[in-house]
Amino acid sequence: MTHDEAGRLLHAYVDGELDPAKALELEAHLAENPFARAACERLRGMSAAIRDQADYHAAPAALARRLRASAPPESEAGRGRLGLPRWLRSAAAFAGVAALAWIAATLVMRPGENERIATEVLASHVRATLAGRPYDIASSDQHTVKPWLSARLTFSPPVADLSAQGFELTGGRLDYVGGRRVAVLAYKRRQHLIDVFVWPGEAGQADLKLTREGFNIERFAKDNMDFWLVSDLNRNELADLARLLSERSAL
Amino acid sequence: MPHLDAAYNLARWMTRNDHDAQDVVQEAVLRAYRFFDGLRGGGAKPWLLAIVRNSCLSWFQVNRPADLAGFDDRVVETLASEEDGPETQAMRTFDRRMLNEAIAALPAQFREVLVLRELEDMSYKEIARVADVPIGTVMSRLSRARRLLGESLRALSNAAGERVNR
Repeated sequence: MTHDEAGRLLHAYVDGELDPAKALELEAHLAENPFARAACERLRGMSAAIRDQADYHAAPAALARRLRASAPPESEAGRGRLGLPRWLRSAAAFAGVAALAWIAATLVMRPGENERIATEVLASHVRATLAGRPYDIASSDQHTVKPWLSARLTFSPPVADLSAQGFELTGGRLDYVGGRRVAVLAYKRRQHLIDVFVWPGEAGQADLKLTREGFNIERFAKDNMDFWLVSDLNRNELADLARLLSERSAL
Repeated sequence: MPHLDAAYNLARWMTRNDHDAQDVVQEAVLRAYRFFDGLRGGGAKPWLLAIVRNSCLSWFQVNRPADLAGFDDRVVETLASEEDGPETQAMRTFDRRMLNEAIAALPAQFREVLVLRELEDMSYKEIARVADVPIGTVMSRLSRARRLLGESLRALSNAAGERVNR
């Protein structure tokens, strides 16, 4: 592979867009070419810097409210094309209204509960970080952390080793959230601490992504366990961790 | 409403202010409701962001025609004449403010691919759909964007260094 060709392919390589054959070729070129390797590291550094530090502008709440208010109940064009009989249309409309009411109910009633838990997990994360004591048991070994937590809880939280994916397990601790004892797994990515709160929850809860005071919070449910992730890590990488955890706990 | 944050983030980075970004997103979402049929495969996010991008373009035409130059290949061509290679300069000390300023100062067509790639984590294929260009163009714009950003960060951090030394 020529130097020029490697230069052209490097961006696609760093972005994970190169097909496997080309990627192997490029890796061989990188292995024997320290300049290209340095260029590759610089590109990765820049990408990480942007993801970490550039502003992500989440939509203001006022805008979301305004848009909800302006949403048309049903579009004229769509109705014409569907060509449904009148009775079916009103049935569909009724189902639509029922669905909207259900969504509204979950949106209106849940936030109170979710908002409270979000506040509690965020507070726990900040307290642990401030105190410089992110875990009660320090270990990167899942087979040490899991039994330690299980011995102190009424459930056994799934603990995954994700160091190969760049999320290093640093330990675990106990905390008290939403009126129950919960497991907290402490992960690290570069300089960022990530707390993963786990406890048994009800199924069927919607996933959630929040930003509070510069921290990203993400929640999902898997196998009757509730997972809440809190970190100052950027939301893309936090979402990566959530996806990895949810794949892992399925095993 | 799904992808509203992504829609606002793109509009905010393109218009570079909150008020106009809100207008653009509102306009785009109304269009999206009207042309819901346009959503056929390929995911809702690139589809919505393509509409947001078009709303940005119309908004530029009316309110800030001068900024449209940032989308014009012929104009942008004169900005970076060097061969696009991997050589983004090593970045020394720069802070969050500097980085945000440097991204905001990029020509529009580079800013949009960078925001979609790094902040929205979209694939080249999805970005190509949003920006309505071939994938090869996405790739060359991204490498151009990173090179320009590296250069301007280097200039900014040198300037800051001189201020401190004086």
